[in-house]
Amino acid sequence: MTGESTKGRWLTVALLTPTSAWFLVMLVMPLVVVAIFSFGERSAVGGYTASFTFDQYANLPSRFTAFRNTLTYAPFGTLVSLLVAYPLAYFLAVKVSPKWRLLLLVLVIVPFWTSLLIRTYAWIFILGGRGIPTLLDYIGFEGVRLINTPFAVVVGIIYGYLPLMVFPIFVSLERLDKRLLEASNDLGGTPFRTFLQVTLPLSMPGVATGCMLVFILLMGEFLIPAFLGGGKVFFIGNALVDLFLQSRNWPFGSAVAVTLVIIMLITVSLYMRLTMGRAADRNESIM
Amino acid sequence: MAMRLYSVAVYLFLYVPIGIIVLFSFNSGRHASSFEGLSVKWYGKALSNPFVLEALTTSLIIALSAALLSSLMGTAAALALQRIRGPLRAMFDGLIYVAIMIPGIVIGIATLIALVTVFDLLNPVLGALWPADAAPPKLSLGYASVIAAHTLFTMSLVIVLIRARIAGMDRALIEASEDLYASPWRTFLQITLPQLFPAILAGFLLSFTFSFDDFIISFFVAGPNTTLPIYVFSSIRRGITPEVNAIGTMVLGASLTLLIIAQVLLRRREGR
Amino acid sequence: MSKSYKDNLPITATKLMEELERYRKGSVSRRHFLGVTGLGTAMAVLSSAVPGLAPRKSYAYGDLGDRLVFSTWPNYHNPVNVEEFTEATGVNVQINAFGSNEEMLAKLQAGATGWDVFVPTNYTISNYVELGLIQELDLSKMPNYDAGAQNPLFAGPATVNGKVYAVPKNWGTTGFVLNSNEIKSGPKSWKDFFEVTMAEGSGHTIVHDYQLTTIGAALCALGYSFNSIDEKELAEAEKVLIDAKPHLFAITSDYQPGMRSGDAWMSICWNGDGLQLNTDLPEMQYVIATDGGEIWSDFYAIPTEAPHLEAAYAFVNFLLDPYVQVREFASHGYASGDSRVSAMLPADTANNKILFPAVELMNGLEFGAAQTLTDPGRAELIARFKSA
Repeated sequence: MTGESTKGRWLTVALLTPTSAWFLVMLVMPLVVVAIFSFGERSAVGGYTASFTFDQYANLPSRFTAFRNTLTYAPFGTLVSLLVAYPLAYFLAVKVSPKWRLLLLVLVIVPFWTSLLIRTYAWIFILGGRGIPTLLDYIGFEGVRLINTPFAVVVGIIYGYLPLMVFPIFVSLERLDKRLLEASNDLGGTPFRTFLQVTLPLSMPGVATGCMLVFILLMGEFLIPAFLGGGKVFFIGNALVDLFLQSRNWPFGSAVAVTLVIIMLITVSLYMRLTMGRAADRNESIM
Repeated sequence: MAMRLYSVAVYLFLYVPIGIIVLFSFNSGRHASSFEGLSVKWYGKALSNPFVLEALTTSLIIALSAALLSSLMGTAAALALQRIRGPLRAMFDGLIYVAIMIPGIVIGIATLIALVTVFDLLNPVLGALWPADAAPPKLSLGYASVIAAHTLFTMSLVIVLIRARIAGMDRALIEASEDLYASPWRTFLQITLPQLFPAILAGFLLSFTFSFDDFIISFFVAGPNTTLPIYVFSSIRRGITPEVNAIGTMVLGASLTLLIIAQVLLRRREGR
Repeated sequence: MSKSYKDNLPITATKLMEELERYRKGSVSRRHFLGVTGLGTAMAVLSSAVPGLAPRKSYAYGDLGDRLVFSTWPNYHNPVNVEEFTEATGVNVQINAFGSNEEMLAKLQAGATGWDVFVPTNYTISNYVELGLIQELDLSKMPNYDAGAQNPLFAGPATVNGKVYAVPKNWGTTGFVLNSNEIKSGPKSWKDFFEVTMAEGSGHTIVHDYQLTTIGAALCALGYSFNSIDEKELAEAEKVLIDAKPHLFAITSDYQPGMRSGDAWMSICWNGDGLQLNTDLPEMQYVIATDGGEIWSDFYAIPTEAPHLEAAYAFVNFLLDPYVQVREFASHGYASGDSRVSAMLPADTANNKILFPAVELMNGLEFGAAQTLTDPGRAELIARFKSA
């Protein structure tokens, strides 16, 4: 920076100004307002009245279940998505001939191009009484209920976020030097050992990226539990929408939002520390 | 073999719901649950419904604006950030990280209450400052607030993408260009920009896709505007008709067409 | 893609046959038949039914513009009417559906909704007026509104401090609907409703996702007032709801799809929706609880900041026309407090127990109260219940 000309410095400032303004008005200001509101009180008819109280934070335990649901479904949904996605990504990156690879990969993303709302709605039909349960009826399993259950929510999560998981894993597996696999085989490694000792460790950056993307999105999820959980599987996202659109309790909603942001900052930082330390050292970008 | 079977199963899982959406878009009946016969009438209904077209236009305007703004500002910021170090750099890194990580629902709610509060403060001031003979402008939620809120996230995404690209860029070329006494501007235009281009394009497309499909942020900050996802949400509540399926199928068809065109164009360029 | 109510159909097939039969027997006029079934051509019905609108609409209303944003409830309108309005005036109507008054209030409070007309319920109107969110109506712009024909019981809440802020739409009751093929024990009260939920109907019951009716039902089951804001009583109601929660199928105000698909067997229900379900599926039975419940009246109101005011007046005026109202009724099954409408309905409508419950049941029902809507205790209770 020392040797830089004045002109260069002005250029840097000019290039950064719009972005800085954006961060200030659209990120810092809203977060500050939310933080301030979280110490206020709900006015008699709803909304916000200025005040300074910790009542909203004291009331957080009343949303314990929503926090607990989010904090269990988000990691669990991430894990299940990973388990479903990994074999597919491996198949695409290692087993499929290059001729078909691109097409098959694109086919994973195509469903992403219809509205998430419509795709999720399709599952209401599939899992609802006239869908799979009817089929199960035919083969003798009567009275199975799928819609509005935790199972339906997990299916919705996998369906919604599978491509986000497949992609980064595919990329890291494709970069993997195939000669390493051959070398391992030549040295007498069983395919399973090769996978455990060579493939899996080398694909970890992709796994970590995919997991983080899905986890972040799940922490704020609202639509999937609302549509497929029937209002019974309640996430923090649903609690937030409820607080703003039903109870009109802006201060408490703000306190819940602040808490969610803090939880995310902590978990994601910890997660990055744990999983990405080495990746970051190798100067591999997280996203 | 097991692997292949597994993959087929995953593709089935991915495509059965899509198949159902497409199939029911050709339903001649009114209900999304019982198929009564083939018909394309719902496509006609959707295309002649001014509110579908308006929602589509609104979504396109918002997504295009957000994608353009994000790629321009994101590229500029990524380039500038290469040139600074120290606490300022750390601050920007932190902001980008927070902007990507905060859930859309929090962004939507926070932006809503912040803007509503600020507008309530500013509108009387504007009214007082404005000449008495003209109606003062009234700040309110609308296109600008949705575009701004989407751009926050998508711009951060573009910065991350471009920085990854810069990190992997061939510096030898830039140095060679400088050795040949090319002006910095020329070096940028002829060497840096072409190398960054794939990342910028990827950022643009990602931003567009995100903004076009976003429901939750728009739901809170779109004010009186209806985007396509908001329209679909309201239709689902009113009791879904195959019109919604037709909309979904058309959006899917349009994306596929664009993909094929892009693919053909890329092939041609590579072929040269 | 569950089955939703045929909200776009002017009339169900069964009903059409019934009407046809009546028309043949000469018990209704041709105009009535065409009106109810939606078979009359748009202009023919319009010109006879909406004087001033059909041929000279532009003079009568000035420039209406080409659009109107209308926020209402699911399954609450006859699309044929809306289409006709668009055809006659060139004003396209965008319909947004909302599941609760709370949500409408929240949207209006946050500002900039762009709504021109919306449908609030009796107990919300004084709140809206207090908050300055709706405007006083100029009744001269709605010649189809006949104040003298209104039942004061249902029209009353529209007048606040001597000014009229809304005009009545329909009225109804809140009870529950059950699928008699599945629920055999014949619940009669809210007490039974919650007991059946925990036993025979476990896993198949729906309650609404907003506070008024769900908390109200639990309060009635305990023998308290539907509108109670007493802390102790609310605490007991919360226990009833929390105990029932594991046995619920869903918490939603959009209960028709679940009932129709057979996933849900019992739900808190508004009577018109009960009639819609019952008409299509006779095993669906609407019950007014013997231990109380809600009687309500919905209105058309115009937000203070309505961007298309003239179109809003024209639209409400159109919907207030008795013939248009009859067709609305044929579609949604909610009674009108407008005596001109009742006079046009087939004679046996008055005997319909879903529409017009027995007096002793009616006497147990309560109108929602203004403070019930805004009470923070109830707002927080429902939020806790949903996130429990």
